Amino acid sequence: MTEIVMECKNLWKIYKDIVAVRDVSLQIREGEIKLIFGPSGSGKSTLLRCLAMLTTPTKGDVFLRGECLTKPGVDLNKARARIGFVFQHIYLFHHLTALGNVELALRHVLKLPKDEARKRAMSALEEVKMEKWANYYPAQLSGGQQQRVGIARALARNPDIILLDEPTSALDPELTGEVIDTLRDLAKKGTTMLIVSHEMPFAQEVADEMIFFDEGTIVETGTPEHFFTNPSTERAKKFMMRLIKRTRRE
Amino acid sequence: MEFLLRYLWDILQGFIVTVEVTLFGAFAGLALGTLLALGDLYGGRVVSILIGAYTEFFRGSPIIVQLFFFYFSIPSLLETTFDAFAVGLVVFALNSAAYQKGYIKGAIAVISEDQMMAALSLGLSKIKAIFYVILPQALRLVIPAWSNEFCSLTKSTAALLVIGVKDLTSVGLRISSWHFRYVETFLVVAIIYLAWVTVVTKIADEVYERVKIPGIEISA
Amino acid sequence: MDALQQLALILNGVTSTITVSIVSFFIGIFVGLPLSFLRVYGTKSAQILIDAFEKFFRGVPELVLLLMFYFGVGLYFPFPFKNVFFTANFVLGLRSAANQSQIFRGAIRGIGDEQMMAAMSLGLSKVKSVLYVMLPQVIIYSTPGLGSEYALLIKDSSYAYLIGVVDIMAYAVWIRKATMDTFTPYVISAFLYILLTFPIATFLDRWGSRKKKQLGLERR
Repeated sequence: MTEIVMECKNLWKIYKDIVAVRDVSLQIREGEIKLIFGPSGSGKSTLLRCLAMLTTPTKGDVFLRGECLTKPGVDLNKARARIGFVFQHIYLFHHLTALGNVELALRHVLKLPKDEARKRAMSALEEVKMEKWANYYPAQLSGGQQQRVGIARALARNPDIILLDEPTSALDPELTGEVIDTLRDLAKKGTTMLIVSHEMPFAQEVADEMIFFDEGTIVETGTPEHFFTNPSTERAKKFMMRLIKRTRRE
Repeated sequence: MEFLLRYLWDILQGFIVTVEVTLFGAFAGLALGTLLALGDLYGGRVVSILIGAYTEFFRGSPIIVQLFFFYFSIPSLLETTFDAFAVGLVVFALNSAAYQKGYIKGAIAVISEDQMMAALSLGLSKIKAIFYVILPQALRLVIPAWSNEFCSLTKSTAALLVIGVKDLTSVGLRISSWHFRYVETFLVVAIIYLAWVTVVTKIADEVYERVKIPGIEISA
Repeated sequence: MDALQQLALILNGVTSTITVSIVSFFIGIFVGLPLSFLRVYGTKSAQILIDAFEKFFRGVPELVLLLMFYFGVGLYFPFPFKNVFFTANFVLGLRSAANQSQIFRGAIRGIGDEQMMAAMSLGLSKVKSVLYVMLPQVIIYSTPGLGSEYALLIKDSSYAYLIGVVDIMAYAVWIRKATMDTFTPYVISAFLYILLTFPIATFLDRWGSRKKKQLGLERR
């Protein structure tokens, strides 16, 4: 068995009167792709943000290659430098070109010299097939192109794992294809990923494990086969039915 | 600071002058500003250019210049003299109108895109549409901006002392120069200004909360 | 003295007007920018202090502040407050800092927490995120507002003539008193002030608005 890259144990996130994440434990091993799905508002985004330490969990621990990130005194910036994150609404930096967006962390986090940062940023853009658009500003790109730059930005510094929060759900349906293709390429290269997504054909194709998430917690886990043929909980069954219907309509 | 108690009456007199000028300026400015906004939007090219020049004069030059202009220059052309307090009232109304025109025009533009068409489709004339449909919405929308304008208007009324009007600041300057107690006196004056502005803006906020239309807002 | 001679004389005051305005403008940026970020990302007590600072400098008339610091504080600390340039820049600079802090804070809000979070997600520290991601956008976003602030400073610098800064206003008043010409000096000074405010304010507004639109900084 390969090494565990990311792990969380008994993770809770409680806002004033809402429990967003309820006692969640999971592991992702080197080269694994896990896919989280579930109804909107069920806390999937919050879970991802807790794992990336973009928001502090209320209780429980997060580990990155065995190192605990939730104990006091950890340099969170260093930890985040090793975790790639792709946002649902992309959040490219408006004032920087595609290349500038990808370069930023290489220059100021990894502190690479200018030429090397540029070279690596360009090769990251090549990986998502955006090298021709390197000098365009985000506002000049389509949603799908923006998200591919977002992915390049996340993977350029060779993070240990990439967390993707519904990378296609904010895009127009005709633009999701190009982003899915990009993710498929990454999957082929053995990138470790934890993806929140409802793209079912894609899930079936690449996911090692699927996690059904509802009301802040893991309800059921299993292979894509398991979920597509015979989920064991009633909630997962109903949700799968709805998803499959919707996918057919599209 | 007990020495100031002796001048309570003078301070109150000065404060009343400031209150009169600010309230008159802000409300007359609202009325005139509305007319200017309508003229600018619907009055044709020439009117719009004239209003542009008016606005540029009152927004582009210091309030002191405007006070001097109306207190010294215009009466000398007419070979007469004007009362300083009256000049104060007029100048602050004209000045505030130039600023309020901008806000009101913005509010009308936000409202009128679809609402004007809808009103005309009912057979209302353009003027009736403005009065019954556009303005009632636009004027509600403009209250927060009016409240900001009230603040800057109040601050600029301190300039009244240059033409000898005995407003709060000018009374403060006189009292403090008799006693060489500038810091204490002007602190009290400052607090009175802050209190006055706070009271009026709080009332404006309250009015806005009561009359605002759900779902229609201008982001500041 | 004919109008041209008057103009030549008044032009001598332009340097002072511009100097006071520009120095105050930059004091405003260098103090206001950190304040705005502290107000958004700082501790509760920092926020309360900054609010009080802003309330005071934005709510009290500039003239009252000038008189208080020049005559009042200057009585106890002749150095540096009896220097008219120092006090003019001190008061107008801090007033501008209070204004600009609000302008920048609006920009930070407008750009949104998301940009900050995206920067943090790359492993950038909070300080670096502010420096490389927030700051450039905040400055572009604020440019139209900074244009108005600059115009405001040019106009408000005219208050400084009352404590003895020899600017456009001072020359105009001096000419009126010397020649009894109540008209020309004020027309010339009004014209000069408009010339100093209008082109630059308009340029900053246009450039900033266009840039904002191009970069998609305006949130829909």
